[in-house]
Amino acid sequence: MTRSSGKRWLRTLALFLLLLAAARFTNCSLALFWARRSHLTDLISAMLPPDWGYAPRILSPLLATVQMSVTGTALGSFLALLLAPLCAENLHAPKPLRWTLRLLVQVLRSFPTLILALLATFLFGLGTFSGTVAITVYTFAILTRLTYEDIESAELAPYHALCAMGAVPAKVYWRAVVPGIAPSYFSNVLYLLETNVRHSSILGYVGAGGIGLLLNEKISWLEYGKVGMILFFLFLTVCVIEGISGLLSQIIREERSLSPLGKRLLTGAAVLLALVCTLSLQPPDFSHISPRAVQAMISGLFHPDWAFFFETDTSGLGYLLLETVCIALVGTCAGTVIAVPLSFLSTPCLMPKLPALLFRVVIMAIRSVPFLIYGLIFIRVAGPGPFTGVLTLGVCSVGLLSKRFTEAIEALDFRAYHALEAMGVPLLLRIRYAVLPQLLPALASAVLYRFDVNIREASVLGLVGAGGIGAPLIFAMNHYKWSEAGAIALGLILLVWRIDRLSTSLRR
Amino acid sequence: MLLEVQHVRKEFQNRTLALTDASFSVSQGDFVSVIGPSGAGKTTLFRILNGSLRCDGGAILVNGVHFESADRRTRRAIQTTIGTIYQDFALVENATCRQNVLNACLPDMAFLPAVCGFFGKERVAEADALLERVGLADKVHEPVKNLSGGQKQRVAIARALMRHPALLLADEPVASLDPVTGRQILELLRDIQQDQKLTVLMNSHNLELSQEFSSRLIGLNQGTVVLDAPADTPAKEILAAVYHRQEDQP
Repeated sequence: MTRSSGKRWLRTLALFLLLLAAARFTNCSLALFWARRSHLTDLISAMLPPDWGYAPRILSPLLATVQMSVTGTALGSFLALLLAPLCAENLHAPKPLRWTLRLLVQVLRSFPTLILALLATFLFGLGTFSGTVAITVYTFAILTRLTYEDIESAELAPYHALCAMGAVPAKVYWRAVVPGIAPSYFSNVLYLLETNVRHSSILGYVGAGGIGLLLNEKISWLEYGKVGMILFFLFLTVCVIEGISGLLSQIIREERSLSPLGKRLLTGAAVLLALVCTLSLQPPDFSHISPRAVQAMISGLFHPDWAFFFETDTSGLGYLLLETVCIALVGTCAGTVIAVPLSFLSTPCLMPKLPALLFRVVIMAIRSVPFLIYGLIFIRVAGPGPFTGVLTLGVCSVGLLSKRFTEAIEALDFRAYHALEAMGVPLLLRIRYAVLPQLLPALASAVLYRFDVNIREASVLGLVGAGGIGAPLIFAMNHYKWSEAGAIALGLILLVWRIDRLSTSLRR
Repeated sequence: MLLEVQHVRKEFQNRTLALTDASFSVSQGDFVSVIGPSGAGKTTLFRILNGSLRCDGGAILVNGVHFESADRRTRRAIQTTIGTIYQDFALVENATCRQNVLNACLPDMAFLPAVCGFFGKERVAEADALLERVGLADKVHEPVKNLSGGQKQRVAIARALMRHPALLLADEPVASLDPVTGRQILELLRDIQQDQKLTVLMNSHNLELSQEFSSRLIGLNQGTVVLDAPADTPAKEILAAVYHRQEDQP
């Protein structure tokens, strides 16, 4: 037994104990879940069969939702491509500018789309414009960071060579750096488009337009047949978007070739779609906004309520943030437990074609349902409180996690596995020594990434009363208590920043 | 007589006849090379010999025991006396060199310690000694992915030796290495073979290296043994016997 493996055992044990403590803190109780399991299905059975006659009424808000996400993604990713070079360390933009931009990105990154949309409705009024602004800001924040990280690890010799010839850096960036980062940039854009379509379906909840408004209305009127119909349409939309993005990413990875004319047509169509979506956007509604209200909001946000910030009892910020972290931690683990078997079952190279396809559809269905619905289902099982948050985040993590896991399984190298087989090593040990060492790093990095996302998403859970920082934040914003909202926002920004640093160092 | 291959036949499910009728024998302490053009059935033969594949006809005797028709337990027992090294190394890239060598101990360990990774001091010491023997004493804790091709093949040799094999199968051991490194690996293999009185069966594309390092050549073409001669047979005769089909073509 070597010292390094002893350390590893100790670390695993510590992680396990931490998880157990977090589970206790969030009142996780499998016994309660089992005892009230019948409530899992009663909402679903109320939605079946969906109210087919309701379909025509859904189409127009659904289109508005898709429009918001396409416009927001297009604008946000355009801005990101423009500003990312100014953030990248190795392109030497002026230091003050670089740090201001990085700070801005880090601050914006701390909030989920829903909170951004809520803030936007105070500035731009109710409607799709606010939703689009929120999605634009969200896309910009996430993508700028991904892109400047790409630039920082890119090959810069051609950039320096062209600069040495006396060319203007902006032009050189376009000609020498962008082609190198383009494939990863475009696949990030496609991934964000998918995410945004799902996120934008709940923005109506805070009055930011789209199908969420309808969903909210039908849920509160208990018309579950119609809710079922809306969910069915959302599922179809997610399938279509996923199909298109799968096709496009094959073209990006050059697995599918396209003639130059086809490429031009495709680019033209994409630009045209983005333009049409942008230009046909509903204009902002400033009629309910007064300069004084905006001034109060800004001054409140910049003067956080320090008493609340430093309070240490259960109503203070520290406690709420700790609860949020615990919900995210246990929720991510729950998601991993569900996602691992699902991703093995949906990998075409391990399973027969038909069951693999079936499980892929199951994963897609899980992904397409907005978290709000899960929150409503689980609140019947676990009651208001952090346990509901854990369950909701767990199910919401399944989509991303199983996608990453499936990719890792597909990239497995079986040569060592067969070599051990030839030596007579039994099956379970072959998996332990030849498969897991390859899978674990990929799994760990996916789980860490999702944990990072979940910390942010956990702040939305307040909407359904599922514990954490979300409910106080949304409550403070809706009641114009801006200094309290400022304190919570500051706390969230610091938390996300810390977790970010932690997960970066762990991934190394 | 350590290994006897009698009229072995293998047909794949897509009706490709990889081996039609292969017969030869290898005695204890020999270094034998199997040569032949691509598609002659060399790799199939090796996969049958190390138990990864089953043959459709004929017999394989290892120390007089029937290998191909043995029950699972006997088969596994024979498998543990055969070491294999591969063209593409077949190592666990993320694991350290020591872990890769220790993986060879897994068949004779109880399940629980094997899963938990409790290999015991003796096995670890032996693995480290073997890594030193192949010249990687300073890479014990290095993940295999950080090594060069030649170093990876050295780890693979150490892993094969960890089983104390009576027979070492080397399936194109130097085909993915540069000529200098390839020669070094073969020199190491020959040293070990002479030290430990090991039997080595190597399969190779490279006639020159095969002639230099082995004592006997077996030529395979279209699934049949077409040559069985001492290694110092003139190259021209060997080429005519084994590669004649290629030579006929303009």
